[in-house]
Amino acid sequence: MAFHPRENWNRQTGRRRLTRREFLVGTGALGISLPAISAILAACGDGGGGGDGAEVRIGTPSDPVEQAIFDDNPAIASGLAPEAGPLRVYNWADYINPDIIPAAAEALGVDIELTTFFNEEEAIQKLVSGEVRFDVWFPVASTVAKAVAGRLIQPLNHGYVPNLTNVWPQLADPFYDMGSRYTVPYTVYQTGIAWRTDMVDSADVEGIDNPWDVFWNPKYKGITGLYDDFRETMGMSLFRNGASDGSRASADEIDAAAAGLGELVDLMDIRYTIDGAYAGLPEGRFGLHMAWSGDIVAAPLYYPEDGDPSVTRYLWPARAPGSAKAHIANDTMAVLRGASNPVLAHQFINFMLDEGNALENFGWNGYQPPQNGLDVSLLVQDEWVPDYLDSAVVLPSDFEDARGVVPVQLSAEQEKLLLDAWGKVQAGG
Amino acid sequence: MPTNLQGAEIEAVGQRRFVWPAFAMPGLVWLMLLFVVPFYGVIAVSMGSVDPIFLKPQPEWNPLQWDSTAFGEVFGDIFGGTLGVIFVRTIIYVASASLLCVLVGYPVAYFVARRVDKHKTAWLLALLAPFWINYLMRMLAWVNLLSPDGLVNRSLGWLGFAPQDWLGGRPLTVILGLVYGYLPFFILPLYAALDRIDTRVLEAARDLGARPSEAFRRVTLPLSKQGILAGLVLIMLPMFGDYYTPNLLSGSPRTRLIGNQIDQFVNQTSSQGGQGAALTIVLMAVVAVLMVSYLANVQRITEEARR
Repeated sequence: MAFHPRENWNRQTGRRRLTRREFLVGTGALGISLPAISAILAACGDGGGGGDGAEVRIGTPSDPVEQAIFDDNPAIASGLAPEAGPLRVYNWADYINPDIIPAAAEALGVDIELTTFFNEEEAIQKLVSGEVRFDVWFPVASTVAKAVAGRLIQPLNHGYVPNLTNVWPQLADPFYDMGSRYTVPYTVYQTGIAWRTDMVDSADVEGIDNPWDVFWNPKYKGITGLYDDFRETMGMSLFRNGASDGSRASADEIDAAAAGLGELVDLMDIRYTIDGAYAGLPEGRFGLHMAWSGDIVAAPLYYPEDGDPSVTRYLWPARAPGSAKAHIANDTMAVLRGASNPVLAHQFINFMLDEGNALENFGWNGYQPPQNGLDVSLLVQDEWVPDYLDSAVVLPSDFEDARGVVPVQLSAEQEKLLLDAWGKVQAGG
Repeated sequence: MPTNLQGAEIEAVGQRRFVWPAFAMPGLVWLMLLFVVPFYGVIAVSMGSVDPIFLKPQPEWNPLQWDSTAFGEVFGDIFGGTLGVIFVRTIIYVASASLLCVLVGYPVAYFVARRVDKHKTAWLLALLAPFWINYLMRMLAWVNLLSPDGLVNRSLGWLGFAPQDWLGGRPLTVILGLVYGYLPFFILPLYAALDRIDTRVLEAARDLGARPSEAFRRVTLPLSKQGILAGLVLIMLPMFGDYYTPNLLSGSPRTRLIGNQIDQFVNQTSSQGGQGAALTIVLMAVVAVLMVSYLANVQRITEEARR
C-alpha cells in the first residue's frame, strides 16, 4: 500500500485557485495596508508488467540497492528524435500545477494529456492490467522496487535528463534505486505535527522530549486528529514508543502501538481524517493534527476570509530535542515500460527537474522539490513558504538524519501485522 | 388455452405469449452482464490469491481452485474480533436511521399524497429537489453547518445554548446524516403507494362508522405497507454500505461502519483486497436476508389483495 499525501484525496476540497506565492504576496500586501485601513476604520467609528516471481530488491538507507536491468526491458538508445505525441502523464490527483502542463506542452512542442488517480492501488491495478497506456508515472519511492521487478517501468537514459544534476545528491543516488536507474525524485515531504497557536500551547508540542506525546494530552480532547492511514499513524505510535518503523517492528511493538492508539478514543475523542491538516485546521475543526509538510504549507490558503493563517505552526519531531523519530519520504517520476513516447517522457521529466518549473509546481501543490538551488531562506524570502511555517521546509540533511525514517516497502506478512492491529484501532470504542 | 380456436389463432396466441416476456430481455441481459458477471468477479477475488510482487489480489476464476482463507479470516474477525463490533454497530445505525426515516417521511408522504389538492406539482417538485444535488455535496454542506463556528452552533448560541461538538465522533450526527441523505429515497415510493389508494375505500370506512384515526389505522396504513417496505429497502440497502457519511461527519473509530472497513481493505491496503471482497459478500448475504423478507411480504400482501 502507498501511504501518500494524495491517497484518496478529496476532490472537492483539494482545489486551489491561487498559487501559494500569489497568496503570500497578496496577504503580505494586505498586511502592509491593513494597519492603515484599521486606523481609518477606527477613526471612523465604532483568510506490467505483472508478477512472475522476479526478485524484488527492497533497499534501506543502511543497505542500498541497485535495481536490476533486464534484457527484456532495456533503456532507450541515446540520440533518438522525440516522438510526435501526445504525451500521456499519469499522476496523483491535484499533484501537478495545471499551468505546468501547457507550459511543458509548449516547450516540448506536443500535446500533453494528464490523467489522475486517487490511490496507488488503483493506479497499479490499471497499469498491470494493461487497460491503460501512459508514458510518465509518479510512483512513491517505496513502490519502486516492485515496479521494477514487475517490469512496470523502464530504465532511464540519463542522456535525456541532464537536469538530474539539479537534484539533491541524496536523492540523485537514493538507497531504493542507486544511480537513479529507473526513477528521479519529484517531491519530498515529512510527517510531523501541525497546530494552531490559538487553540494549542506551543510549549506542549515543542517543549517536550517526545513531541508525539502531545496527541495523548487530554488538554486537547476533541480538537485532535490523526491521519486515516495505517502506515503513518501506526508508524507515529511506534515512534512514540521508541520502536522501529512499521517495516521492522515486531509483533509486540505493533500491539503496543495499537494499544496506545486505542486509548485515544476516550482520552482524546480522536478522529481520523485525510484532510484534517490542510482543511480541518484552518476551519477550526482541529487545533492539533498530524501533518505532511506539503499539506501544512498549503494550509494558509484554506483559512476563511476572517481567519488568521499566521496561527499555524509545524514541527518535524525528528528535528526536536530528544530522540523521537519521524517519517520522511519522497515521490518519484518514471517512464512506463511500453510507453508510446519514451523520448518525450524523458524530456518531460527533464522539464520537471528544471529549477524554475519545479518551483512553479511547488507554488501550486505545496510539496517541495529536492532542488539544490533552493534553501529555507530563499523559500521564505521569496514568499514560497510563510515565515511562520519555515519549519516545514525539508532539508537535504533530513534524509541523512538517523531519526528521519524513510518508509520502505512492506512485506505481505508485515503489512498483515500492521493492518490487523490497525483494524483493532479503527474498531474503536 | 381455449379449445375452440383454429390453427392460425392458436399460433397467434402462442406468439403473443412470448411478446411480453421479450420485454424483460434487456433487463435480463443487463442483469447478467452488469451484475452476475461482476459478482462472480468479486467471488473470484475473495477466493483468489495475492500477486507475489505487487501484493495485489489475484482472482481465481476456476471454482475447483478456490481458496477460502480470506473468508476464514473475515468470519474469524466477525465472531471473535473487531468486525463483529462494527457489524453490530452498523445494524444499530441502519435500524435507527430507517426508523427515523419512517417517522419523519411517512407524515410528509401522507400529506403530499392525501392532503394536498392545490399545487400538488409544486409539492412534488419540492420532494424531488434533493435528487438534483448529489449526495456528496449535500453531506459536505452539513460539514460546514456543523463545524464549531457553523450556523448550527451559532443558532444554538442565539437561543442561549452552549455550542456542541457535532463533528467530534458522535453517533447521533452520523445517524442524522444518514437520515438526511436517504430520506428522499424513502418518501418517494411511499408517496406513490399512498397516492394509489382509492379514496372510495376510505369513504366506505367512514360510512361504516370508522373515525378518521381508525380509518387510517385499519385502511390507509395496511394499504401503504408495501410502500413502506419498498422505501425501507431503497434506503437500508445503500445505508449498509455507506462509508462516506461517517467519514465526513465523524472520522472517529466510535462510528466506524462496515462500509469503512470494506473501503480500508480495498482502497487502503495492498494485500487485503481478498478480505474486502469476502466482507462484501458477507454483507450482501446479510442484506439478502432483508430482501427475501421484503419479497416474501410483498408476495403475501399481493395474495391477500387477490383474495
